Amino acid sequence: MPWSRFDSNYEAPAGARDITYCAAIREAIDQAMCLDPRVFCIGLDADDKFGVFGSMSNLTHPERVLGTPISENAMTGVALGAALSGMRPIHVHLRNDFLLVAMDQIANYVAKWQDMFDHQVKVPLVIRSIIGRGWGCGAQHSQSLHGLFAQIPGLKVVMPSSPYDVKGLMLSAVKDDSPVLFLEHRWLYKNTGNVPEAMYTLPIGKAATLRRGGSLTVVATSLAAIHALKACEQQELDVDLIDPRTIKPLDLDTILASVHRTGRLLVVDYDFPFAGFASEVVAAVCERAHESLRQPPQRLCFPDRGMPSSGRLERAYYPTPERIGELMRQMILGSSIDADSFVN
Amino acid sequence: MDRKATLKREDGLWMLRRMRLIRQTSERIARLYPTNVMETPVHLCIGQEAVSVGLCRHLRDADKMFLGHRTHGPALAKGLPLPKLMAELYGRTTGCSHAFGGSMHLIDLEHGLPGSSAIIGGSIALGCGAALAAQLGKNDYVGVSYFGDAATNAGVFYESMNFAALRKLPVLFLCEDNGYSNVMPKSAHSAHDIVSVARQFMTTLQADGTDVLSVYEHTGEAVAQLRRGEGPVFLHCATKRWMKHQGHEACDIVDNGIDRERDCPIRKLEAFLLKSRLITPAELAQIEQAVEAEIDAAIQFAESSPFPDPSLLEVS
Ligand SMILES: Cc1ncc(C[n+]2csc(CCOP(=O)(O)OP(=O)(O)O)c2C)c(N)n1
Repeated sequence: MPWSRFDSNYEAPAGARDITYCAAIREAIDQAMCLDPRVFCIGLDADDKFGVFGSMSNLTHPERVLGTPISENAMTGVALGAALSGMRPIHVHLRNDFLLVAMDQIANYVAKWQDMFDHQVKVPLVIRSIIGRGWGCGAQHSQSLHGLFAQIPGLKVVMPSSPYDVKGLMLSAVKDDSPVLFLEHRWLYKNTGNVPEAMYTLPIGKAATLRRGGSLTVVATSLAAIHALKACEQQELDVDLIDPRTIKPLDLDTILASVHRTGRLLVVDYDFPFAGFASEVVAAVCERAHESLRQPPQRLCFPDRGMPSSGRLERAYYPTPERIGELMRQMILGSSIDADSFVN
Repeated sequence: MDRKATLKREDGLWMLRRMRLIRQTSERIARLYPTNVMETPVHLCIGQEAVSVGLCRHLRDADKMFLGHRTHGPALAKGLPLPKLMAELYGRTTGCSHAFGGSMHLIDLEHGLPGSSAIIGGSIALGCGAALAAQLGKNDYVGVSYFGDAATNAGVFYESMNFAALRKLPVLFLCEDNGYSNVMPKSAHSAHDIVSVARQFMTTLQADGTDVLSVYEHTGEAVAQLRRGEGPVFLHCATKRWMKHQGHEACDIVDNGIDRERDCPIRKLEAFLLKSRLITPAELAQIEQAVEAEIDAAIQFAESSPFPDPSLLEVS
């Protein structure tokens, strides 16, 4: 099998250079398609001239890039059927919000197929989707919903923040024999970073520590991780910043070890707050590291309402590096503050 | 049918004014859009005005119409006041959705617009729901599901037609077929012929969507059937999108078959009205100027309206 050389302790080869997040995705997909003829891409506008915001432009095998009608639910079933028949589809969506149209297939079929048949089958299916925001996109074009998807047993949910991670995790996702939901924030696409040219995989379910510090543990993924990093740098804060990279499975060990050292936890999650990813991290830490916590953990999420469209409201709706930094500073410096002020 | 004999001057003028309102507003938006005063994705209707206007001449305020993402034309045709549209695009509290909706989410309860959706397909079912409510409540309004050609690829399209036909709902399926889904031509997204599919379910009519009188005539027939309680009607309107799918630029698809002289719904109606002596050249010029003034006023209203206060986002 062409994937056998990518076992878990395979070392990323040398030969890295700076490329964008978008180029890293493209490179991973192109290499996967070249390596394995079973890999194909399918999705609405997958084959148009824009190449999914450039992430699928000029692929070596355009004959394995299939455009589809606006039929997300059926197309998810088509991708699943192909995966069950030996192919390794990458189903791509320009916005996460469109995944909801395919929720029956995603939640009832894709996620459950292995459990229902006691894992007699492989479901090597990657569902790629892009998180948008801004310019008045509004309530139906700006959602992330990773917490919702992670709630469904049977789905892995991956949301890398850096070009290096996105390439390695994309290759892991395609290599995986179970369904992976792969979420890319559109605002990360232009970011650049060091990426090896050769193929490499990164383990799904292993966090990255973006910054080491001793006073506060911050957990954040995707764009939130980049914003949190910026906040730490701007405010020179003593923060242990953990990017889980994959929220399901979740690398709780890394988070717990950090909280044991810092005694404080903040989860910055660019998703709705109720019963979401941030709630899950806080609950898990409270269950397992309660004695280490010096103050109540905090969550910084979107308001519990749909995205507004006016620029004024959008800018107030979304957390910023400045707001994240302010909250981190309060948590670190103001640990004597009455715990009530943390309940919001 | 001899149009000259049947078209009333007031109907002709109404449709000309509405089409001009949509056209000139869209052109103004296209001019202003690059200056970033409207932070919202705009899907303009230039070239497609005849469809919504010919339709809405037969609709009452009580009739409920549900739209997709390409909203401005049909919303203005149905009666959304221009200042409320402009203020919404400018992100001001006086906008029809109070700055929460933006271009793709317009509402006007007074004029039978209970909202519009930017997820393709879903709102087709909502028009059927309005028709069901009319039927259950023994009201005489009708529902209208207004959608593009590519929405016929979604399962909800078939499911809605089936249900509407089974229950004989007073709903009009209005397909504004501009031949494209973004840059994808219909031949790439639909193996089916939309009209033949619709015929399997209900009375199906076809209008020339670049000719407002054609749409007007066929809608008249369609709405009459709905109001008689004889079940749903599908009206297919073939039209042309002069602009890019989204934004302020002209459509750049090669071989898009657009001839702005030949295909212009406004020119067609104007020529007809002049020829039938229902209007004078001086009146034509007056209408154009009056619409410009209306747009100036609407923009002024929008610009002088307050931005929303961020405290509006607080969740109780
Ligand atoms: C479920 C879903 N998938 C994809 C999209 C992205 N999208 C927005 S408009 C559009 C094309 C729609 O074409 P059509 O329905 O014919 O209407 P038109 O834009 O031509 O008026 C697409 C694919 C969407 N909004 N919703």
